[in-house]
Amino acid sequence: MARRSKLTRLALLPAAALALTTAACGGGDDSGDTAEGNGSGVELVNDGTLTTCTSLPYPPFQEQDDSGEIVGFDVDMIDIVAQDLGVEQEIIDVDFAQIKNGAALNAGKCDIAAAGMTITEERKENLGFSVPYFDETLAVVAKQGSDVTGLDDVESQNLTLGVQADTTSLDYATSEGFKPQVFRHAGLQVQAMQAGKVDVVLQDLPTVLDWLKNKEDIAADWEVVDKVDTGDQYGYAVKKGNTELLDQLNESLKQAFEDGSWAESYEKWIGEAPEKTPTGTESGS
Amino acid sequence: MTTDTTVTEAGPAPRARLSPRKRKKISLAIQYAVFLVVIVTLAFVADWAAIQHAFFNLDEARKAFPDILAVGLKNTIIYTLSGYILGFFLGLVVALMRLSDVLPYRAIALAYIEIFRGLPAIVVFMILGFGVPIAFQDYEMPYDPYGTVALALGLVSAAYLAETFRAGIEAVPKGQTEAARSLGMSQGRAMFTVIVPQAIRIVIPPLTNELILLFKDSSLVFVIGFTLSGYELFKFGESLSTRTGNSTPLIVAGLLYLCLTVPLGYLVRKLEAKQKRGRV
Repeated sequence: MARRSKLTRLALLPAAALALTTAACGGGDDSGDTAEGNGSGVELVNDGTLTTCTSLPYPPFQEQDDSGEIVGFDVDMIDIVAQDLGVEQEIIDVDFAQIKNGAALNAGKCDIAAAGMTITEERKENLGFSVPYFDETLAVVAKQGSDVTGLDDVESQNLTLGVQADTTSLDYATSEGFKPQVFRHAGLQVQAMQAGKVDVVLQDLPTVLDWLKNKEDIAADWEVVDKVDTGDQYGYAVKKGNTELLDQLNESLKQAFEDGSWAESYEKWIGEAPEKTPTGTESGS
Repeated sequence: MTTDTTVTEAGPAPRARLSPRKRKKISLAIQYAVFLVVIVTLAFVADWAAIQHAFFNLDEARKAFPDILAVGLKNTIIYTLSGYILGFFLGLVVALMRLSDVLPYRAIALAYIEIFRGLPAIVVFMILGFGVPIAFQDYEMPYDPYGTVALALGLVSAAYLAETFRAGIEAVPKGQTEAARSLGMSQGRAMFTVIVPQAIRIVIPPLTNELILLFKDSSLVFVIGFTLSGYELFKFGESLSTRTGNSTPLIVAGLLYLCLTVPLGYLVRKLEAKQKRGRV
């Protein structure tokens, strides 16, 4: 074609432009901001802030209150860590899948993952877990007046089970042979309950109790029919190998266990005083 | 219902030898009757109070303001425009490469277009948001997360824009290049001062269409993960609606998207009409 031959000498231009673009994409070699200001020598992804990855909403561990602020038990705990580091906490909302597989931490989006996350062997492969701070209990929730007494009824009565994606609830349900309907986050799960799209729900007990306490339509129609004590515990996580931050995290947590601020927060968000305080000795990672 | 009887009576009754005009009249009457039946049925069957409560709840809508504008709408516009600007220039470069005489450039451009036109935008976001930063640990995206969003939306839109630009460049009459060359312009000068400006003018309507599409694609950036101040319209509406258990914030977010896209669509129609007039 005639036009094409006339464009020959232009060929260099796209090349140069492409080189420029790639340079721009890969550029910014001033990586690895170090929070020199905090005096502890802990490296943070953003100067002066402890960036936390979480998956909203997950009451009572993290959710937006009526004014839009993110509050909750995990928020309180990580605020203590941030305070000890002399920085402010900033929270990033990301799908739980990216948190539990370590992608969000590895991608440098945040320093700490705090999402009411259960410590599991599989997750330890990808995350550096703190000492446990909370005992996990799963709750089976069903409509009031239904004769559902546990997960076994899901199969015999051919009911729809709803669970949150990538959680231990899902692992538990699938390992028991269920084929649950999966929701991307707890907020969508509770909306499915309100919309009557699920018959039975499996979710961590504190979250369920928070729904029953704060959502009128849930409280009116639903009840906890069974509890599953998994024997597992929640932990916070850092990028695997980030021992400086992990040490600081464990240090701050142990302090919080000892000085009563953990118990105080527990009572505030769970609604009752804890039976026992974590010892902070058994290491999660 | 009276409307029902008119339907059944109007239908099969006087079938034999009707004038086309009369037949048309009857057909129209049937269509209107069906429409009426549907409307009346809807009006009776639907629980309007519940619908209004779920979708058009003024109290819930009020909760969304002013943040849905100050945060959601603002971020949607920033994300989309930054992606569009990057995509515009990248698309132009790819279009020129696509028309180049150098085979590798043509091949790269073609591969680029096919890949990024074929990939769902959400896949690009996931790869740029999590895959790339993990693979390139020593590099950091400038102006993150805005940089990541701009790059992701830019890469996606560039593929479409490149094809649009190519069509525009090919639509400029050959005589334009020849005239420019005969005036002593170099090839490159002719391209950039004569051909490309005309090409862009020709493709302004499809370029605007791409902007509309990009406004919608920007709703997928939530997968990258943001602070609350980085929420765009969709994420803002979704998070507020899951918080309150009411769909009104999503409706508000949807209406705000329409506030952006409907005027742009109107603009496209105007521009197209103008071009049509110009061609006659």
